[in-house]
Amino acid sequence: MLQISGWIALGLIALAWIFSDIDFADLFSARRMDNFSRFAERALPDPLRQPGDGASLGAWVTEQMNLYGWRGMGATLGISVIAIVLAGGIGSILGAFGARNLMSAHPFVPHATAGHGACNHALDHVAQAVRILCILLRAIPEYIWAYLLLAMLGSSAWPAILALAIHNSGILGRLGGETIENLPSEPLRAMSMAGATRKEITIAGVFPMALGRYLLYFFYRFETCVREATVLGMLGIVSLGYYISESRAHDQYDELIFLVILGGVLVMFADILSDLARRWLRRSV
Amino acid sequence: MARAADFAGLGGKESSHRVRVLTGILAAGILAFLGLGLDGSGLLSKGDGAVLVREFFVAALQPALDYESGGYLPADAPPFLLKVAKGLWGTLVYAIAAISLSFVFGMLLGVLASESFWATRGKAWGVVRWSIRISLTAMRSIHELLWALLLLAALGLSPAAAVLAIFIPYTGTLAKVFSEMLDESDPRPSYALSQIGASQSRVFLFARLPRTLPDIAAYTFYRFECAVRSSAVLGFFGFTTVGLYLKQSFENLHYHEVWTYLYALILVVLVLEAWSAQLRRRFVV
Repeated sequence: MLQISGWIALGLIALAWIFSDIDFADLFSARRMDNFSRFAERALPDPLRQPGDGASLGAWVTEQMNLYGWRGMGATLGISVIAIVLAGGIGSILGAFGARNLMSAHPFVPHATAGHGACNHALDHVAQAVRILCILLRAIPEYIWAYLLLAMLGSSAWPAILALAIHNSGILGRLGGETIENLPSEPLRAMSMAGATRKEITIAGVFPMALGRYLLYFFYRFETCVREATVLGMLGIVSLGYYISESRAHDQYDELIFLVILGGVLVMFADILSDLARRWLRRSV
Repeated sequence: MARAADFAGLGGKESSHRVRVLTGILAAGILAFLGLGLDGSGLLSKGDGAVLVREFFVAALQPALDYESGGYLPADAPPFLLKVAKGLWGTLVYAIAAISLSFVFGMLLGVLASESFWATRGKAWGVVRWSIRISLTAMRSIHELLWALLLLAALGLSPAAAVLAIFIPYTGTLAKVFSEMLDESDPRPSYALSQIGASQSRVFLFARLPRTLPDIAAYTFYRFECAVRSSAVLGFFGFTTVGLYLKQSFENLHYHEVWTYLYALILVVLVLEAWSAQLRRRFVV
């Protein structure tokens, strides 16, 4: 299996490079270089284009921040926070319904010792269906969800929030399910054997035990949410991406580059934030 | 207050901790909701939107197998399913080309960014390591679509630009994760080899690297799945992937065609998922 997979992978890589129109030399053709020099000319911040006027660069940055920067960053952050909170809630429910050890006639009791009627096919099917639902939710990229939702709901922050929430619910649902399946089963089996119902086991045992790990995934996905929320704006939803696509449309490349870097800084900020949260979680929860 | 929780024993302290974390997350969500000035009315589609929603979701049951009538169709248009296949192949080509390049450069930079590679070399080399780490952060903090936008503005539409747009951030991510995997791998084989007198680079090559290869392969495969999604979205910028055709069909109100593209994309992700699940089972054993 490993060997076959390796050969298939190598074959696909060869095919992709040979039978395609990818040509890196094309990037350096005269026409492209021409295009590039035009781009580079306008990429320099406006105040730097006039010689000897470096002092007003600070004023230019302040102006950019006041015009688009703060608003774009705030909206991007807000969208991603709401989206990840929604996804966290939905994902925990999907995770519980998709975990095979919880969704059995005798939760956490191995089939062999559970005796008659241990195989409950209805519950098995529910778990299977939920897992497939999770795959469907995350198979479609956020950007396509947002594009479709924007046409349906009209312009507001909701299409971006829902797109991020849908995609991440699928991912957190799957990761949550795996977390539950990997929990140490002894305490949960004890609850089950003592007669606790599935609901009781879930609320009093599974969720508290799984929370730490689940939150690790939650913060990891928060970081990717911020990254995605930035670009969803390019569809016309007010986040950083909206201002980025506007400056592209007006050929204001200095503005474009400034805002792209600002987006990068925001992602780095979220990266550090989620890293701190995860480090703190590892120690305490 | 905190003292009371302490006296309640470990369980009490832990659960108050959990409550605090969850309350914090919920509060952040509500704050973001208020900050964005959202209300529920944006969630309901009105007028044309409502008609669109119904038509769009009814079309989900009947994905198109041929072009929908009513649109302009050039005389030399390929059969619809062939066009779908072409879109999928285009999506895969960019993803495969980008991830294969990213793997090579990710390995190289990942080794150079890892602590264990520089362990016994002089402190001065720390500068090299940190400058690589900082560049990797910059590479992955900027979303692939923003790289695409910059490359489009600077060089114009070219297939190599699509590959480059995926390659840059994915290399940053792969290298970062590879370096962490290398640093966190079991150090005992390395000790054993250096005890019998192997040079530092041999220890790295024959003890540390082989131990992490399964993890590296599994993670690369997961990122490939992400690259397929990224590549699909690049179609929205004019590259010939599924996203381009999906967008065109949606703009022509050919919802049945849209669903064919969505199902095709889901199918690819499902196949990749099944493949990687098989592989992981082999690796773990």
